[in-house]
Amino acid sequence: MSASYILKRVVLIFYTLFVVSVLVFAITQILPADAAVMMLGENATTEALEALRQQMGLNDPVWMQYLHWAGGVLQGNFGISMRTGQPVGPALFSALGTSLTLAVLALVFMLMLAVPMGIIAAVRRGKVADLIVSFISYIGVSLPEFVTATLAVMLIADWWGLLPPAGYVPLSQDFWGGIERLILPIIVVSVMMIAHVSRMVRSELVDVMHTDYIRAARLKGLHPRRVLFRHGLRNALLPAITIVALDVGYLLGGVIVVEEIFSIPGIGRSLMSAIQARDLPVIQAGVMLMAATYSIVNFIADLMYAWLDKRIQYD
Amino acid sequence: MTAEASPVLAIRDYSLAYHVAERKAEVLKSVNLSIARGEILGLVGESGSGKSSLASAIMRYLPRNAEENSGDIFLGQTDLRAQSQRAMSDIRGSRISMVFQDPATSLNPTLRLGEQLAEVLIRHQGMSKAQAWREGEERLALVGLKTPAEMMHRFPHEVSGGEKQRVVIATAFACNPELIIFDEPTTALDVITARQILDLFTELQAKTGVASLYISHDLALLSQTAQRVAVLEKGTIVEEGETAALFRAPSHPYTRALIDAVPHPERSLAEASVNASSGPLVKIRDVSVHYGRKSLFDSLLRRDFKGVAGNRAISLDIRQGEILGIVGESGSGKSTLAKAMTGLNRFEGLIEFDGRPLRGLSDMNRDYRREVQIIFQNPDASLNPRQKISEILARPIKLYGSKGHATVRDRIEAMLERVRLPRSFIDRYPHQLSGGEKQRIAIARAFLSSPRLVICDEITSALDVSVQASVTELLMELHRETNATYVFITHDINLVRQIAHRIAVMYRGELVEVVDSKAITDPDRAPYTRELLAAVTPPASTRLDAILS
Amino acid sequence: MIDFLRRLLRTPQGILGCLIIAVVLIAVVAGGWVTPYGPEDMQALARYKAPSATHWLGTDQYGRDILSRLLDGARSTVAMAVLATFIGTLAGAVLGTGSAYLGGRADEFIMRTVDAVMAIPSLLLALLVVSLLGSNSWNALLAIAIAFAPSMARISRSVALTVRKQDYVSAAIARGEGAGYIVLREMLPNVIAPIVVEMTIRVSFAVMLFATLSFLGLGAQPPATDWGLMVSEARQYLHRSYWILLWPSAAIALTAIGFNLLGDGLRDALNPRT
Repeated sequence: MSASYILKRVVLIFYTLFVVSVLVFAITQILPADAAVMMLGENATTEALEALRQQMGLNDPVWMQYLHWAGGVLQGNFGISMRTGQPVGPALFSALGTSLTLAVLALVFMLMLAVPMGIIAAVRRGKVADLIVSFISYIGVSLPEFVTATLAVMLIADWWGLLPPAGYVPLSQDFWGGIERLILPIIVVSVMMIAHVSRMVRSELVDVMHTDYIRAARLKGLHPRRVLFRHGLRNALLPAITIVALDVGYLLGGVIVVEEIFSIPGIGRSLMSAIQARDLPVIQAGVMLMAATYSIVNFIADLMYAWLDKRIQYD
Repeated sequence: MTAEASPVLAIRDYSLAYHVAERKAEVLKSVNLSIARGEILGLVGESGSGKSSLASAIMRYLPRNAEENSGDIFLGQTDLRAQSQRAMSDIRGSRISMVFQDPATSLNPTLRLGEQLAEVLIRHQGMSKAQAWREGEERLALVGLKTPAEMMHRFPHEVSGGEKQRVVIATAFACNPELIIFDEPTTALDVITARQILDLFTELQAKTGVASLYISHDLALLSQTAQRVAVLEKGTIVEEGETAALFRAPSHPYTRALIDAVPHPERSLAEASVNASSGPLVKIRDVSVHYGRKSLFDSLLRRDFKGVAGNRAISLDIRQGEILGIVGESGSGKSTLAKAMTGLNRFEGLIEFDGRPLRGLSDMNRDYRREVQIIFQNPDASLNPRQKISEILARPIKLYGSKGHATVRDRIEAMLERVRLPRSFIDRYPHQLSGGEKQRIAIARAFLSSPRLVICDEITSALDVSVQASVTELLMELHRETNATYVFITHDINLVRQIAHRIAVMYRGELVEVVDSKAITDPDRAPYTRELLAAVTPPASTRLDAILS
Repeated sequence: MIDFLRRLLRTPQGILGCLIIAVVLIAVVAGGWVTPYGPEDMQALARYKAPSATHWLGTDQYGRDILSRLLDGARSTVAMAVLATFIGTLAGAVLGTGSAYLGGRADEFIMRTVDAVMAIPSLLLALLVVSLLGSNSWNALLAIAIAFAPSMARISRSVALTVRKQDYVSAAIARGEGAGYIVLREMLPNVIAPIVVEMTIRVSFAVMLFATLSFLGLGAQPPATDWGLMVSEARQYLHRSYWILLWPSAAIALTAIGFNLLGDGLRDALNPRT
């Protein structure tokens, strides 16, 4: 893997973040929110408002405000929250940490279920197991997170009382208690991904098992298990890396909803309250962090894929 | 004595059918075959003959919808049909093995070649990984690979087609099987590489005495490889016998038709030489084509961009009314030149058509487009699947205008007749036609504009031998009627010797030489030309001709 | 058309998809008139009722008939979702095919920018647009269309590039056909089919996204009968009657499944080679 291959992708990350920042900055400019009014209250004097606006640079032309903000971001300064008056950065990063815990656990859980499901469905194609998996997939991919969450809370928390319905405890504080409270959110957020990825794995594996080289392997008299695992899965799971990376976008969206329902203090929840309160700096920073997460995940996936698939040209 | 009497492979009265969409398609009907030890049996058949199904049936690797009758398939004393799948997997690879058509697809792209060879040794001979690896290296040396140890560690995409096929052959021979099935092993390879693989096969077979079932559509090839030949037509073995006898006096009409369809370089179909006194129709001067483009990223980093050269400074004349053949292996740039001439590729240099200079696509006006037509290799891709034949064939008429008072539909029907297709095809979609029929439509489309130059880009390569022959015949007929100039691009040397007046040889983007077809076998030809001819005109092809004359 | 419908009904997905969507479409078109009760008729004495002969799906916290509300809400949920997907697909298709046609640097630039926009999760992008424009159904529609456009652009471009490489397009260029004919008669018929399939499957995402926006309070507002809103409101009354929650959830899921199945069925029906 050459340096220029990696470099090209790193440059792309920066370009992506640049475009996202312009987009989100443009959007927040159009939002009818007057930062000064928000900070000083409705009854402040016009002079005080004007002074604050001057100080916050709100009267500067848009592109200057953008550069000012972007410069701050590059130095790690994300501004001051209009709602709380606290610096945006630290609070948001810690919220991001919480969300990432949820997301990573959900990803692991999803892989542990979706990949075997896809394999079983492919190997037992057309039989009962395949139909069951297909059925689950169709349903899973058609249930929005809020429906799954509400039903899950209703069944598992309220009726059967197996798990607590909401609330969050940091894992560092109480590991098992924290995990217990994360189980439902993890399941909810991964349902759609499980459905999608298992379908993908099945489809890829079925395609691979029909190739000439699999036929050649069987005709060499190799054990079916070896053919499946050593020859088949290697080639089928490779594209899955790319698909999972792309699905991270949906995952992050789902995280927003799940954090709302289960009251988890993650970045999704921060964004929701920021949007509702028109807290511009938080919105800007939050969207940037989400986009950055997605970009970095895809970057890692690209590298993994290139490392595993020897046919990629590294230029 | 008696050891020889028992055949290695014996198929008796075997029939096979597939259940497809509530119908039963009979694929093999009462097949009888036997192969003795050390014998090579050639099985010739076109697409749809059932030859691949026969191979699958012997290996007992049939799809779920297959239905077999009570016929026998015996490997020595073993009744293959009575074996369980597990027992069969012990037999496959060790007592029977197979060599496939396309080594690029029959090797796993993500595993090293060594592993794919060693795994049969581990599986069937109980070797350890280290032992199998060492044995594998020796086997690779036996198939003529120069650096076996290194080859073991390579991936398929890192080696050439010929090298890959050698590895596949080594794998097939690895456990010293009793029978090897070769399913068109040279079809996907270049002419010269194919010859090398064929020589390798002959050598190994003679050394090991393995019984071989050699499946091919290529009669000429089988005539010099196999001791006995069986002819398979639509699931039935119509004729079988010792090779020389079969070719000397074929009894079945299908066999005769197949033999006649083989292009004979000595029998030229082109009429007497073309009058070269009038200036050339097309002058190609120093035409070069480069592929690839500098990406945004490269521009930002100010990196140099080296394109891939498709053609390098080609200079060529094409004479009025002649048939110019262009031959070369894949990657030689022959199609690239054709695309440059029809404005599908950007090129540098000059093309002069009938005295008019052309330097690029913008110079190619409506008249030029009408007078210069191109027919592509794959009729599945060159006909828009969502257009009916009526629309496909109406385009040239609508674009270039119609002389006379015939309606568009009349003209289309007249052309359909001319290419020997029923008029009723006018309302069909391409997928309702066979490969040969689709190619005739493509030819009809080209000739509807009354062109002066027709470029045929490998138009027979994707077709069966007998279909090839009839399409070639049609082409020659149209040549006699219209006196259009042809540029006939192909990799089939025998075919081009048969129909072309002059032959241009290309190699890696460069023009090697242009000569009269009759002079192509002269000893003072360029080394590459001689190498190419040697690969295709093996002694037995002349043996075939000697038999026939 | 008849032939097309016959092809569509050959696969189990096609049959099931058609069936479900037909039911949904009837609800959308005729829903408003067929409702046994008005969607906003409150009956104080008939609150939290389970399904019965008089109220087939039961009643909600205000005594409103759930079936009526569902039928009424079909229009806002489904029709809006279809429209949003269509607009998003159109915008994406124009962008994608245009980019494919331009090729070269312009294509690279456009696609990298589209990729960058796709780094923002669709839900988040929709949330931003809705909060920008105000929370109502029409703004939610626009938000979803904007959120879908980038991915549809990518898909359209990919399909357009594949078609562009086919020999029949090369043959047309070699014949000297004009750009208009090539794009409209050679490329478009082969490009539309995969895009229509993709679009149909996307509608199910749009239905879910729409419902999610309403659920979060940023789409339709009470007392609208949007299904997502119904689920959101039902949460606090779970202990009184879970039917209020169940029916709109089932409706959302069923509609999404239906479009998914229909899309799969269309894929087979529109393939000219089968």
